[in-house]
Amino acid sequence: MTQNNFLTKALNDTVMTRRSFLKWSAAIGGTAALAGGVDYGLKAIEGAAAAGEEQTLTVGCYHNCGGRCILATKVKDGTLLRIVPDPTPVEEETPESPRAIPCLRGRAQIRRVYAPDRLKYPLKRVGKRGEGKFERISWEEALDTIASEMKRIKDTYGNEAFYFNYAWGVTWNGPDGSSIIQRMLSMFGGYVGYYGTYSEAAYGVAMPYITGGYVGNSADDIVNSKLVLLLGDNSLVTRAGGDNGGYWYMKAAEQGTKFIVVDPIMTETVAATQAEWIPINPGTDVALIAAMAYVMVKENLYDKEFMATHTAGFDENTLPEGAPRNSSYMAYIMGKGYDKVEKTPEWAAVITGIPAERIANLAREIASIKPCAIIQCWGPQRRAYGEQFVRAVPILAAMTGNFGIPGGNTGQLPGGGYCPMGGIPVPPNPVQVSIPCFMWPDFVTRGTDMTVEKDYIRGASTGWSATAGDTTTAQENKNLRLKSNMKFMWNHGGNCIINQHADVNYTRKVLEDDSKLEMIVTVEVGMTPSTMYSDIILPGTTGFEVDNIITGEGHGIKGNHAWAMYNHKVIEPMFEAKDDVWIAEQLADRLGFGEDFRDGHLTRDDWMKDMVAGAQSSLPDFPSLEEFKEKGIYKTKGGKPFVGFEAFRADPVANPLGTATGKIEIYSPVLANLKNEEIPPIPTYIPEWEGVSDPLREKYPLMMMTTHWVARSHSTFENVDILREAHPQCIWINTLDAEARGVKNGDMVKVYNDRGVVHIPAYVTNRIRPGTTNIPQGAHYTPNADGVDTRGCGNTLTNYRPTPMAKGFTAHTNLVQVEKL
Amino acid sequence: MDTREWALLAFTILGQTAAGLMIVLMIVRAYLARAGGDLADRLTNRPLFLVVPLMALALLASLFHLGSPLNIARAVPNIGYSWLSREVVIAVAFVIFAALYTYLQWRKVGSESLRTAIGWITALLALAYIYAMGMVYMIATQPAWNTLATPVTFIVGSLLIGSLGMAAALVMGHAGLKKTETPIVNNVLQGLAISAIVLLGIEFVVLPLYLAYLATQGGAALQSLNMMIGLYGFVFFLRLLTLFVGAGVLAAYLYRNAAVADKEQTLATLAYSAFALALIGEAMGRFIFYATHYRIGL
Amino acid sequence: MAKQLAFYVDINKCSGCKACQIACKDRSNLPVGVRWRKVFQYEGGEWVDQNGQMIPSSVYTYSVSSACMHCKKPICMDVCPTSAISKRNDGIVLINADMCIGCRYCSWACPYGAPQFNEELNVMTKCDMCQDLVDKGERPACVESCPYRAMDFGPLDEIREKYGTFADPAPLPDPAITEPAVVYKPNKITKSSRSGDGRLMNLEEL
Repeated sequence: MTQNNFLTKALNDTVMTRRSFLKWSAAIGGTAALAGGVDYGLKAIEGAAAAGEEQTLTVGCYHNCGGRCILATKVKDGTLLRIVPDPTPVEEETPESPRAIPCLRGRAQIRRVYAPDRLKYPLKRVGKRGEGKFERISWEEALDTIASEMKRIKDTYGNEAFYFNYAWGVTWNGPDGSSIIQRMLSMFGGYVGYYGTYSEAAYGVAMPYITGGYVGNSADDIVNSKLVLLLGDNSLVTRAGGDNGGYWYMKAAEQGTKFIVVDPIMTETVAATQAEWIPINPGTDVALIAAMAYVMVKENLYDKEFMATHTAGFDENTLPEGAPRNSSYMAYIMGKGYDKVEKTPEWAAVITGIPAERIANLAREIASIKPCAIIQCWGPQRRAYGEQFVRAVPILAAMTGNFGIPGGNTGQLPGGGYCPMGGIPVPPNPVQVSIPCFMWPDFVTRGTDMTVEKDYIRGASTGWSATAGDTTTAQENKNLRLKSNMKFMWNHGGNCIINQHADVNYTRKVLEDDSKLEMIVTVEVGMTPSTMYSDIILPGTTGFEVDNIITGEGHGIKGNHAWAMYNHKVIEPMFEAKDDVWIAEQLADRLGFGEDFRDGHLTRDDWMKDMVAGAQSSLPDFPSLEEFKEKGIYKTKGGKPFVGFEAFRADPVANPLGTATGKIEIYSPVLANLKNEEIPPIPTYIPEWEGVSDPLREKYPLMMMTTHWVARSHSTFENVDILREAHPQCIWINTLDAEARGVKNGDMVKVYNDRGVVHIPAYVTNRIRPGTTNIPQGAHYTPNADGVDTRGCGNTLTNYRPTPMAKGFTAHTNLVQVEKL
Repeated sequence: MDTREWALLAFTILGQTAAGLMIVLMIVRAYLARAGGDLADRLTNRPLFLVVPLMALALLASLFHLGSPLNIARAVPNIGYSWLSREVVIAVAFVIFAALYTYLQWRKVGSESLRTAIGWITALLALAYIYAMGMVYMIATQPAWNTLATPVTFIVGSLLIGSLGMAAALVMGHAGLKKTETPIVNNVLQGLAISAIVLLGIEFVVLPLYLAYLATQGGAALQSLNMMIGLYGFVFFLRLLTLFVGAGVLAAYLYRNAAVADKEQTLATLAYSAFALALIGEAMGRFIFYATHYRIGL
Repeated sequence: MAKQLAFYVDINKCSGCKACQIACKDRSNLPVGVRWRKVFQYEGGEWVDQNGQMIPSSVYTYSVSSACMHCKKPICMDVCPTSAISKRNDGIVLINADMCIGCRYCSWACPYGAPQFNEELNVMTKCDMCQDLVDKGERPACVESCPYRAMDFGPLDEIREKYGTFADPAPLPDPAITEPAVVYKPNKITKSSRSGDGRLMNLEEL
């Protein structure tokens, strides 16, 4: 028996065992019992040494952390041996273009590929939906079933009953974000798409209403800053490796740049950049910003000229036409606005929990130390009124004169260079309506009642279109309606059906009634809580099992350089796993448009040639596909750091921003027209429901956030045993709150509110504000017989209550109680 | 404590019982020999026959502690520096000599003086074995173990169990005694009772000194102390109580009753209970020993 | 005799992510429960009431990545009853699995918790400084893995020349016990092993 056979057999055996226990708890028990299961990899590796050549091939690490890293893997006889970091020789590393050394998650990739819970063959649901009973079927049967259901649902309800769900796990996205499945669905007659993201919905939608776009200085510019003020940014965890944000922050800290971090948690970023920590009550940043602006005005510390020439609505003089008196930001902070309250540091101290003196000093510091990079990240906007935070931060950047200068920033996330590549051609979607991605359960329960005005459904969208801040455009077509509720969902490597969506117990109810949403098809590499709620599960490939092209940008928070890499297929697809191109082609054949679908693309290489051609059109030195495959990595040299809105700063008339007034729109006339108290024209502090001042705290006194976690990219990698071992799931709770409950570090606690119950170990620490807790998001929901989640999925407790404007996820706004178990 | 430490608990307590019995047995024989006849053989062969099986059980238990017991022979060459090697080698020597001595006693092979000589060699090996057993735990980074108290309490505990075990064996043989022999045996019983009380006294002197030592060392030693009197405080107290009742109160009654005629039944009850309590007390002590050690560092 | 090799960790650059631990486990195929490299999280300070507001008072945290220190005085080697533990000419301390009886004596003794029992192999195992890679002139997997370049390795005297001699960050034990071949660069809040100021937070590493 060759080693390959041995490996396959070992995997067959282990996964077979799993399959017979495909129930919630048993599935997890199965994993635990197979804890030694990684060892099949081990044995295969040990034995493989006998024959064959050892090769080192580049593989991208491309998950939804927002970063992108370069892995190489040692492989021999079709077996992965071990990961090595970016193989670019150390000598070739330059300060402008560092090696993209992967984080711990990337280093654990082999255990994800060889995970005991890898899906081996297509499965169909045989029990009630969510019960976890599945039966093995052939690919033939799976594809035939999907095709015939698609036809039936199309005939019965039309194409508007189809939905392509928000997902980032396994898709073979083209480097530009396009998806081959969307191509197939478009050619099938279309589907309802989504807009926005679970990550940065409010940011993507609201930011254009102040700066007209999504532009920050590139991350490598931070080394030019003397002071960095981070608001809710933990880049050292979210984009922990590579040449992404965290790398540049550390570079700057090493050079002596001072960091100040406003965050309820003393994060890894606070610790490693040796920052000053300003622990703030969650959801109160806008009050802090208002008070800092107040101090700068009172003490005459702000750039008056810049505010006069570059902003609209900062004071009464720059208010756009038609705006009422005392509606400017100045009026708001000086006590002449709608609430007639002066935004003094004392006022903010009560709300934020930060001493007034510290607030005043912070204002003085950022106003006097130049250049100062003021950076917001996405955590604080995944909250009840996230849009207010998004629009408030750039005001500080503008007032302190740091907008559009080297070493400064626009108050947004840093940006970075990108490598332009072609993608998979997706024809225009014939269905001209899309929903905010977070609102899909409403599409299931009351899709035909969803409206433009209330639910902000929009025109067609092919997927992630973060910059499309067209809430108002949509307002123009007020009669837009969906013709059907959702009947068919394609979930491509996504875990937003259950795990990553808010209020798991509600979502379960929506899905368990399979007369509403009739068919869910999920493509995945391993079992997840979402596959448990699917009707057909198709085993997909990991990045190690297909050829692909990866570019370095991810969310684009990096230096002003770019790279692309050839992601080699280093092993054969595991078991019966199939790649997306094949799946889409097979369905296209069965649905009768196979030839059009292929459009001359006979192999995967043919699609990749298109991508390379796209790159060559703007990068003349980009190699041919063959050369690229050989070399593995293409890197641009890197240039001077990019400075966001530099031209606008130099001449705001010649280079206006994309806002209605062309200026930094602190007062947005467009938003004023919405006449919605929760979407005011200037960013104001709106006390949150389930926030610091909600009377519900009498019953549920602790605020709970669900931040990113270093051991996972959202819920991806949750099945990797050594990552769970390295960073066990826990709830962060302050020492004082823990002591009051008799809870010691490591004790099991019960966390609950009206929406659910979680049992989880406590991490008792002084690194989180009293009154605040945190359950890192992404642990796989695993209920026991009483419906109590036993693995620490924070979404058991979160709220399906979107933000007012972007309809985004409010993942961090929750109240809970904690008890010792 | 995990399985492996439970195995160690069984190994050490069984080993101490066997060794303690062997040592005390030889001393008792020396005394009984003065009475002449086969009294010594009649009274001490029965407990002697227990020594080898007890050691066999002890060694069996030790295998559950070792991850790869098949490699055990590799420990032999290192008796020059390793107390664990010494423990292994001496334990094996002890078993061999004990088996030899048992065989000779059983079959009455060899002269009385030869057998006695071999018996004493066995007893010395038993003593060395317990000493080595204690010395194993003298690790610089284990402050709760790395004190003179460790070998002392291993030896004292062993002799204590041995004394009361021997007492129990003697009362077992009581019924078959001739009239003239009873006072002699009762004298021996008194001697064993006194030795148990004295050994208990030593333990009760060493213990506070030991605790005081831990308290002054800080760090890992203090952590151990806190655990002994904190989490395992109840076991700790129970152990002291058990030992005090067994080796103190009951031994005292044993002493008093052994001086009075026709108290066989009382003596038996006292001796059996005292032995059982001493054994349980020592086992609880060993549990605490393994459950509360803190290594310096991480 | 070759020069004693040593690890170096810059505490300033460590975020506690454990990429080094994962890289180690990836290279050496270690099962759950065996962590040749551990990252200890240390925390101190408290929250105090200042005029009715809760504020943090000297709350700090830092992480210390630690593996076998390939000590100059390896206590593990001293106590091993079977000579299964040896020290190479270049100072790398190794456990020979064929000679180990799995008595765990070395794990009782090592103040760094470096030797760990592998339940599948039934022997003690520990960091071998990636001797196979080192012999090929490469660097150990952990050193290579750090996204922030916090680690280095090389002959101890060179490492000391480059980075100093500090080897005493809490919660690690007093280096006098075993004379570890390691150098740490402290950050401004790093405490010494004797400070007794903070506490170890991530209990999973014990």
